[in-house]
Amino acid sequence: MGGFFSSIFSSLFGTREMRILILGLDGAGKTTILYRLQVGEVVTTIPTIGFNVETVTYKNLKFQVWDLGGQTSIRPYWRCYYSNTDAVIYVVDSCDRDRIGISKSELVAMLEEEELRKAILVVFANKQDMEQAMTPSEMANALGLPALKDRKWQIFKTSATKGTGLDEAMEWLVETLKSRQ
Amino acid sequence: MFAKLKKKIAEETAVSQKPGGTTRIPRSVSKESVASMGADSGDDFASDGSSSREDLSSQLLRRNEQIRKLEARLSDYAEQVRNLQKIKEKLEIALEKHQDSSMRKFQEQNETFQANRAKMAEELALALARKDQEWSEKMDQLEKEKRFLTAQLQEVKNQSLNLFQKRDEMDELEGFQQQELSKVKHMLLKKEESLGKMEQELEAQTRELSRTQKELMTSNQMSSDLRQKLEELQRHCSALEEQRDLVTASKTGMENKVTALEQKEQELQAFIQQLSIDLQKVTAETQEKEKLVTHFQEKVASLEKRLEQNLSGEEQAQELLKEKTIAEQNLEETRRQLSVARSSQAEAVDILETRVKELEQSLQASEEKLMQSRAIAATQEAQIQELATANQESSRAQQQCREHVHALEAQLAALETARAADQLAAERQVRELEQENAVLKENKNECEHSLHHHQLELKKLKEEWSQREAVSVTVAQALEEARKQREEFQQQAANLTSIVDEKEQSLQEKAAEILQKEQEIFQLKKGHEAALLQAHQLQSELEALRSLRAEESEAAAGRQDRLRLPGQEPGLALLVSEPHPHVTLRAMQDPAYQLSPAEGIPNGEVGGMDLGQLQKEKQDLEQQLLEKNKTIKQMQQRMLELKKTLQKELKIKPDSELFEVREKPGPEMPNLTPSVTNHTDLPDAREVNFEYLKHVVLKFMSCRESEAFHLIKAVSVLLNFSHEEENMLKETLEYKMSWFGSKPAPKGSIRPSISSPRTPWS
Repeated sequence: MGGFFSSIFSSLFGTREMRILILGLDGAGKTTILYRLQVGEVVTTIPTIGFNVETVTYKNLKFQVWDLGGQTSIRPYWRCYYSNTDAVIYVVDSCDRDRIGISKSELVAMLEEEELRKAILVVFANKQDMEQAMTPSEMANALGLPALKDRKWQIFKTSATKGTGLDEAMEWLVETLKSRQ
Repeated sequence: MFAKLKKKIAEETAVSQKPGGTTRIPRSVSKESVASMGADSGDDFASDGSSSREDLSSQLLRRNEQIRKLEARLSDYAEQVRNLQKIKEKLEIALEKHQDSSMRKFQEQNETFQANRAKMAEELALALARKDQEWSEKMDQLEKEKRFLTAQLQEVKNQSLNLFQKRDEMDELEGFQQQELSKVKHMLLKKEESLGKMEQELEAQTRELSRTQKELMTSNQMSSDLRQKLEELQRHCSALEEQRDLVTASKTGMENKVTALEQKEQELQAFIQQLSIDLQKVTAETQEKEKLVTHFQEKVASLEKRLEQNLSGEEQAQELLKEKTIAEQNLEETRRQLSVARSSQAEAVDILETRVKELEQSLQASEEKLMQSRAIAATQEAQIQELATANQESSRAQQQCREHVHALEAQLAALETARAADQLAAERQVRELEQENAVLKENKNECEHSLHHHQLELKKLKEEWSQREAVSVTVAQALEEARKQREEFQQQAANLTSIVDEKEQSLQEKAAEILQKEQEIFQLKKGHEAALLQAHQLQSELEALRSLRAEESEAAAGRQDRLRLPGQEPGLALLVSEPHPHVTLRAMQDPAYQLSPAEGIPNGEVGGMDLGQLQKEKQDLEQQLLEKNKTIKQMQQRMLELKKTLQKELKIKPDSELFEVREKPGPEMPNLTPSVTNHTDLPDAREVNFEYLKHVVLKFMSCRESEAFHLIKAVSVLLNFSHEEENMLKETLEYKMSWFGSKPAPKGSIRPSISSPRTPWS
């Protein structure tokens, strides 16, 4: 009943928060991206054991952004957060060529979840400021993105520390979410 | 006794089973061997016809050997049969003994039981008779008592009737008294009302008095104020008079001064006149002197002229000159003196004039002052006059006030006198009223006394009545108790009779059982006879066999004579055994006895089983008997207890609730500790993820509800919540998030007492 009312309320005012998950392997820069998006600053982070959740407003659209810790031991708990997710920001360290395979398998496993069937996928090829960074196309191929079906996805080259590419990515995400509504 | 019996029976059964067990094995063996032998012989017979003579001889030999063997076996069998017969005898003896003993025991028991029963019945009958007698006696007594009590009751009723009459009379008296009392009360009330009115009047008067007193007080105050004012005015007047005196004194002083000043002025004027006269004189003198001087100067001039003329006479001239100078000096001195005098006079005149002027000024000032003072005096006089008038007025006012006060005092006195008169009247009235009241009170007291007396009488009567009632109640109670006793006794008798009936029934049952046992014994006997018949049959079979064997032996003898001797031997043995046909019969009976198990149930065992059953039944019966005895004992105990309680109840009513108070065993505390062992399947994960769990739970508890809603799954996964628990959490959060709705009831493992979920309606 309460949920019904709240749904009416939210439909009346259109203030439903978009639920976005930021996922990715440990050290990919998820927390930095989250706080870059929220406060626009580069914060010093420690490895996230657990998660961070912040409300980010971008172009009059409210996002409830969940940055889930990407350490191997707590990666299995990602699936606890999948329900009612509108979009997934998958952050990949562009310099970490060794673990791109793990990243891909995690991504594939994640995308196979029924709860994320309708979620939009945005891949952040992060750490583009580094010299030996992979190009987005290289990354997309490495992650097997072109093989994805029934999925709206886009890859962006970003640098959380420099703040480049985030706006474009968010722009695309907002537009996609708006068009999907 | 029963234990011994049981032991005996057990021993016997053991004995009876042992031989059977021991004999069975060889017997079966022998049977098999016999069968095999028979088979062998059959084969031999079959091959008999086709063999040669040598073969026949050899066969004969073999047959002989076989026969020998068979004979030996037969002898063995005979021995065995004998043994078995012996055993059978023994067993039979034992069985007979046992049967006898059991029968005896049964009979004894039956007898004893019957004797006991008879005794018991007799006792019970006796007891019943005694009790009946007692009860009848008691009943008689009770009836007597009842009669007595009824008589008493009638008496009591009569008394109570009297009492009622008395009470009625009392009631009438009370009514009269109450009427009188009410009259008196009415009078009293009227008096009290008049008293109240008087008191009210008195109060009104006292109020008036107080008002007048207040007025007096105010007038007194006014008078005192006026007095004070008057005093002040007098003081003022005196001060003004003093001032006036002072002013008049100063005026007189001033006038004196003025007169003195005028005198002085006059003096001064006289002096001035004198001085002017003097001055005129002096002027005249001066004029004279000047004339003299001019004269002298003429003289001098003449002299000089003379001197000039009289040169010889210089000395004289000189002297004359000298004289002249001296005269001139004198003149100058006089002139000087004159001028000095003149200046001094002028100065003095000036001074005097200034003084005069000053005096005039001062006079003027003093005159002004005087004028002023006069004006002041006039004003003061006017004031004084005013004051005097005011004084007069005030005095008049005072007089008025005094008059007023006098009037008020007069009024007050009048009022006081009136009040006193009123008071006196009121007191008189009050006294009268009091007297009346006292009279009324006396009347009332008398009435009350009489009432009290009546009440006491009534009470006494009531007490008597109550005592009588109590007596009647006690009598009724006694009657009831007697009745109860009678009923209880009747019940007891009924119980006893029922018990006796039960006993009889049990006895009948026992008898029936015994009959059954006898029947069983009869059946056993029948079985025995059947067994005997079987034995006979077997014997006949044996005889047939023997005859067959004899035929065989004859056939054998027909072939070989040698064989006759050994062939006769078993016959001899049989002949030897024939003098004991019974023995053989028994011996045969036993194998028959034992052979029958091959057919089905072993007869011996049946007997043993029957015996066992009998024994069991006996034991059961004994047990039943014991139980019955126990129940009888319990009944007796109960009866004793009942008797005791009855006696107690006869003495005092014990609160039966005391016995009923039973402490219920405390409800078992539900095991509230939930099992956490479910986590053991991933201990390493738990260790690793403790921090994660901590973080998630912390966030779950601290973050917004909309965020917490998404965390439910994580928390429930981490904490291994069941589906129900997770749903419960969700419902709770929804309830928290919404403005409406009801709080969901906790279910699932929150209540460990409810293990399974409730089945839904639809």
